[in-house]
Amino acid sequence: MNRVLVSERLVPNVYRLVLEAPEVAVSARAGQFLMVIPDSRGERIPLNVADWDRERGTVEVVFLNLGASTRKLASLREGDLVEGVAGPLGRSPDLPVSGTVLLVGGCYGIGGLYPLARELKERGNRVIFLAEARSPAFLYWVERIKRYSDGFVEFFRQDCLEAGEELGGLMARIKREQAEISAILVIGCSYLLFRISEAGARLGLKTMVNLNPIMVDGTGMCGACRVSVGGRTFFACVDGPWFDGRELDWVEYFDRRKAFLREEEKALARVESEFWIKRGERR
Amino acid sequence: MKKGEKIEPGLAARWQAEREKEWRKALRRQLSVQKRLTIERQPMPEQPPEERIKNFREVNLGYSFELAMAEARRCLDCGNPGCVSGCPVAIDIPTFIKYIEVGELEKALEKIRETNSLPAICGRVCPQEVQCEKNCNLGRAGKPPVAIGNLERFVADYLCLREDRNFQERQVNEVCAGGEKIAVIGSGPAGLTAASDLARLGYRVTIFEALHLPGGVLAYGIPEFRLPREILQAEINYVRSLGVEIRANFIVGKTASLDDLREAGYRSFFLGTGAGLPSFMNVPGENLTGVYSANEYLTRVNLMKGYAFPDYDTPVPRGRRVAVIGGGNVAMDAVRTAVRLGAQIAGIFYRRTRAEMPARAEEIKHAEEEGVKFNFLVVPVRFIDDGRGRLAGMVLQRLALGEPDSSGRPRPVPIPGSEFEVEVDLAVVAIGQSPNPLLIKQLSGLKLGRWGNVEVDYRTMATSLDGVYAGGDAVRGGATVILAMGDGRRAALAIDNYLKNLQC
Repeated sequence: MNRVLVSERLVPNVYRLVLEAPEVAVSARAGQFLMVIPDSRGERIPLNVADWDRERGTVEVVFLNLGASTRKLASLREGDLVEGVAGPLGRSPDLPVSGTVLLVGGCYGIGGLYPLARELKERGNRVIFLAEARSPAFLYWVERIKRYSDGFVEFFRQDCLEAGEELGGLMARIKREQAEISAILVIGCSYLLFRISEAGARLGLKTMVNLNPIMVDGTGMCGACRVSVGGRTFFACVDGPWFDGRELDWVEYFDRRKAFLREEEKALARVESEFWIKRGERR
Repeated sequence: MKKGEKIEPGLAARWQAEREKEWRKALRRQLSVQKRLTIERQPMPEQPPEERIKNFREVNLGYSFELAMAEARRCLDCGNPGCVSGCPVAIDIPTFIKYIEVGELEKALEKIRETNSLPAICGRVCPQEVQCEKNCNLGRAGKPPVAIGNLERFVADYLCLREDRNFQERQVNEVCAGGEKIAVIGSGPAGLTAASDLARLGYRVTIFEALHLPGGVLAYGIPEFRLPREILQAEINYVRSLGVEIRANFIVGKTASLDDLREAGYRSFFLGTGAGLPSFMNVPGENLTGVYSANEYLTRVNLMKGYAFPDYDTPVPRGRRVAVIGGGNVAMDAVRTAVRLGAQIAGIFYRRTRAEMPARAEEIKHAEEEGVKFNFLVVPVRFIDDGRGRLAGMVLQRLALGEPDSSGRPRPVPIPGSEFEVEVDLAVVAIGQSPNPLLIKQLSGLKLGRWGNVEVDYRTMATSLDGVYAGGDAVRGGATVILAMGDGRRAALAIDNYLKNLQC
């Protein structure tokens, strides 16, 4: 059991939890993830590490409130307990020794990318951060991230829907202005990862995407998270979660993510009907 | 010395001394060999197949007191018992059975626990037919062997569960407060055994478990209808009551390295990290949704309680036409699970024939009773896409048995042009697993075998690293619970010797 020290709604659908997990905090590195189990009936779900404090023995996660498990996590208050936190899991990405790195964070991925921006900056890289969100109201941690970036670009859905720039065009412009870009790192929804990988392929840039397939144990034991990269099968939990998005079989990836769509709806319906009532009673 | 051979010198003499005790002599006189030979082997009461396929409750219901007494009387208490040499943890089998015969169940349990901390588990999942019961001398008289496994289970169930109800109040053993610290990595059968033996020797033992619940393969792999969770919990609580600390959600190799643990004061290590890496066939279509590793399928059901979805959050795929590929115990567990989850047709697809199936006879029998269809001499060569990334069927190829391969079993040879299609909407790949590489691959200097298994000296289970021991599936690939326990036991003794020699 791990105690919740801070529970915060960052923007309308993105939440932040600070959890007590001293050993995990000591070992956590940028780009890794944790398995979090909300309660004794809960799933094990992978969440990006968004920060840690080794002295206080805490780790932070930032997540999108989307399904049954994240609903449960989002409703936690300071002092509550989660069933378990395990990690840190996965490998941190190979970072270029020098040059400019373009970080693309969408939605909950802005949180997960923050430690990478910090690490890159501290290593002496130039960091350009592209933050993608539905609208300015969905953007968070801007000041924190700007501290570790040499350029900060915002991209909103309305830019896409209206006459504004498209993501591909924006990427090309960034590439033109930042001639030194040696790699792109992306965390966010699958569609963003896919789009940026397309753009990366067109621009000839190494595009490392943080995959978020369905996982069960997260330690390489079950193979639920298998992905095809360059024609070979990998387990995203132990071989990844970072892969070159230009080589991923995206059709398979999208299909496998949808494997339990109906069950996910059902679980969410149950949580919303029972869990929130219980919460309401307690207050 | 071969795998799974005897552990301690002087055991045979101790067994003999037990047998010469007055009460044993009197008991032998009480009922003649002739009379004992007339008692039939007592059948294990079972849930009827048509009922049990609708639930996840245990299939075998266990002996009643009367059945157990009758079965215990069948044991001749022979002068040269064959059973004991077949037991990888060297239980003094005749003594515990005779304690049952005289109704001293506490003493029977104590006797078993001298060498085996997990009797309720072993009584259920051990392949007794190829171990203790194989060499029972009743066989020479043309009789079926004494049901040693059923008796072991009876004793354990009769007392462990009762004991467990008082577990909360029991004080954790304090004898080990001053001992050296030992880290056991993995809480499966090998780790639990090593830990309890070491705790009994006075060491301070911590088990580090990567998952959120202890038990390893006993928790994620073996279904509840073979091993109920309250039994597993009771056995684990017993290990805790010996003073063993269990840290869940602690992934050695990720949360902390082995060196970190060394710095934290742990003096010796036992790697019981299991065979957690599932093998796939590497055929086209294997990544379609609907194709699962047995590990994933069983973990969803057993560890995460997916069968109770949506009361539990982890879903499990429910197929109408389910194919399980493989012929071992894991395949049997998977296919019987599919039956319970409502499959209309659940079939085993195995590349050899019934005679070569590695699964236990009892599991095969139970599966057949539950309506599982067996398909032999076939292998999938391709999985078929329904056009939307989901599994719609598989292309099978027929095989014929050829010359024996390195395992001594006939090699299956493909018959060209024999391909045919079957419609399936869920396929479970249960063709084996190899040692979990997460920790062992990052220990520099640790010698590994060709399957990625940890190489050890089987007498001591010592690895190529000083003070680091290993056992169970991490060493053997995919073996049995009891062999893993034998490894844990030998390693515990060796670790004790190692630490004593360090002090000298």
